[in-house]
Amino acid sequence: MTGDPADDAAGAVPDGGTVAGETAGGSGGSALAGLRERDDFVVIGMAAALVAFPFLLIDVLGGVGDAVGLSVGGYSGLPSLVLIYGIVVIGFNLLLGYTGLLSFGHAAFFGSAAYAAGLFSQVVPSPILMVVVGTLVATLLAWPIGFVSIRRSGVYFAVLTLTFGQALYFWALGPGSWLTDGDDGFSGIEADGLFLGALPLDAEPIPMLDSYTVMYAFTAVVMLVGVWAANRIVNSPYGLILEALGENEERVEFVGLNVFRYKLMAFMISAVFAGVGGAMFVIHEQYIHPTTGLYWIQSGDFVIMTVLGGTGSLVGPVLGALVFEYVANVVSGVSLPVVGSIGSLWRFVLGAVFVFIVWVFPRGIYGAFADLARYATGGGGGSGGEEPAAADGGERE
Amino acid sequence: MMILQSQIASILLNGLQQGAIYALLGIGLTIILGTMEFLNLAHGALYLVGAYTGLIVFQETALTNGLLYNSGITSIGFEGGFLAAIVLVPIVGFAVGLLMERFVAEPFYDRPETDQLLVTFGLALILEETVKNVIGGNTFQSIAPSTVFGVNVSQPVSLPLVGLFPSWRLIIIGFAFAVIGLTYLAIERTDFGLVVQAGTRDSEMVRLLGIKINRSYSLVFALGAALAAFAGLIGASIQTVSPQIGTTQALVPAFLTIVVGGAGSVRGAIAGGLVLGVILSAMTQTYSQWAQIVLYLFVALMLIFRPEGLFGTAEVGE
Repeated sequence: MTGDPADDAAGAVPDGGTVAGETAGGSGGSALAGLRERDDFVVIGMAAALVAFPFLLIDVLGGVGDAVGLSVGGYSGLPSLVLIYGIVVIGFNLLLGYTGLLSFGHAAFFGSAAYAAGLFSQVVPSPILMVVVGTLVATLLAWPIGFVSIRRSGVYFAVLTLTFGQALYFWALGPGSWLTDGDDGFSGIEADGLFLGALPLDAEPIPMLDSYTVMYAFTAVVMLVGVWAANRIVNSPYGLILEALGENEERVEFVGLNVFRYKLMAFMISAVFAGVGGAMFVIHEQYIHPTTGLYWIQSGDFVIMTVLGGTGSLVGPVLGALVFEYVANVVSGVSLPVVGSIGSLWRFVLGAVFVFIVWVFPRGIYGAFADLARYATGGGGGSGGEEPAAADGGERE
Repeated sequence: MMILQSQIASILLNGLQQGAIYALLGIGLTIILGTMEFLNLAHGALYLVGAYTGLIVFQETALTNGLLYNSGITSIGFEGGFLAAIVLVPIVGFAVGLLMERFVAEPFYDRPETDQLLVTFGLALILEETVKNVIGGNTFQSIAPSTVFGVNVSQPVSLPLVGLFPSWRLIIIGFAFAVIGLTYLAIERTDFGLVVQAGTRDSEMVRLLGIKINRSYSLVFALGAALAAFAGLIGASIQTVSPQIGTTQALVPAFLTIVVGGAGSVRGAIAGGLVLGVILSAMTQTYSQWAQIVLYLFVALMLIFRPEGLFGTAEVGE
């Protein structure tokens, strides 16, 4: 829609813009919608949110919690963890929300990157190189898996991706123990400082605000790069083809585009995001176990975060990751006056939150906010063009 | 030569037992997916319901934690024995299935499959956590009776080729296949089955022909739930019971079974279950470390080279 001639995808696919124009037809943007699609707007907005996020989550919520006597504030590692999962699900959403492919095997890329980064850290403990190596391994793994899985659709695609993930999980648990330490989990990962050994990750450079660690800054920067890249992809002709694929695959094929290639590319891109997230995860946790890294429940968690946040928007899934991790890590520690400690009930709360959100807000948390904003501003006609995938992508079959 | 033969016979018998559980799960899932195009991630939770109902009906079980224990109830169970469980478990499963269809699935028939996934996964979590918090998160022993109809079944019997085999397991295989056979006949030979079959092909057409398919939907869903619950009972009689069994032991195998057999096909679910059961038992008895890996890779190869499954005709979801 922006029709940026400098975009590399535009050069590769000259007729991409035509398809996009057809599918996203009628979404003529108002000035505001135009502004929102600009790269710098998205990146600056995200950067502002990232700067405020730990303060809001830990200091403000913690303060509120102290006032009412409930421990509702996050612990200091939580903002980084939310962002790490946020990175994964932004990429996952490019596959699920835009291209319309439901993978149940993305833990394979998350976990393999985590193990690869962990193993590499025994040689060179540089966090940046760990991320590079982890992502590389995840991408290399995604190619063959994507190559054979993309040929199937619907439940078949989901189960096929799941089988590869599960095979890898059971390999890491059993026969691959020599490499992964099996059921004991892979531990002893010590990432060095960020730049040439300087800037240790657990340092807290800002006095009073101990949640702003170097690790958080690192994650935030990676997140920003991820958002920027995803935004570029989504708003390029390339991204519009992906979106068109989610809406009507046959039509894209009739136009003469190589559907297989675009789907595979979307799969690979999402695996790159999962790989970055996996490597960051192992740097953050300094430990990885087949169950947290490779088991299908982890893949399921990615699906849930994405749908919970809202598949129709770029950053919606990050909200899903926030709610998911908040319930898992903070709500579990809350102790209520009558009910007592929530503790082991947190998964019950999580299930109830899923059911509630999917029931009341079919377009996810982001969709709920978008509706609220539109309602507050008196119902704008331009908002339909803001997120074309939200309106149509949700009903793809 | 004798050793090889006896090993093969033993693999087949164990495979039959595991395969029966997979087939029961798969039939339920496949008719729900086929007729309603509803992706039910709470199918494993129905297995869980069956296992715990079986546990409670079958015997008196001492509790060690959970809500009931904390409120002074130290044991639960009716000591009804296994035959009572065989009757009651499917009934409970059927009732849970009816409720689930009416209150959870039905509002989501026209929603995208990701919404169905989310709501049923949420429901599965809620059911699992309810069981865990009320009855307790600990692992219970499997429930194998010592006598059935006054006949002692706790001793192994000597079979030709196989050698000693727990007689209880033989009976389990018999029960499971009796239920599978009845279900198969119900789908293939009755009017209700005809509607279900037609529904898996083209539910809109069935509705246009004036058949009240919504009522059939409830029945199909409840039937599928009853079968899953029965699978849970069978599973509980040979494996330990804990709140996680729904997601770890039932849900994924159910999906593997139907894609191997061909989604929407009852015959396929039975065949798929047996094939997976035999593969798993063969690998477990030979290279047990690789058992699960080979199982998943087999399903992957199946999906790559024969996506229509053993008995399916076309892919669902296209």
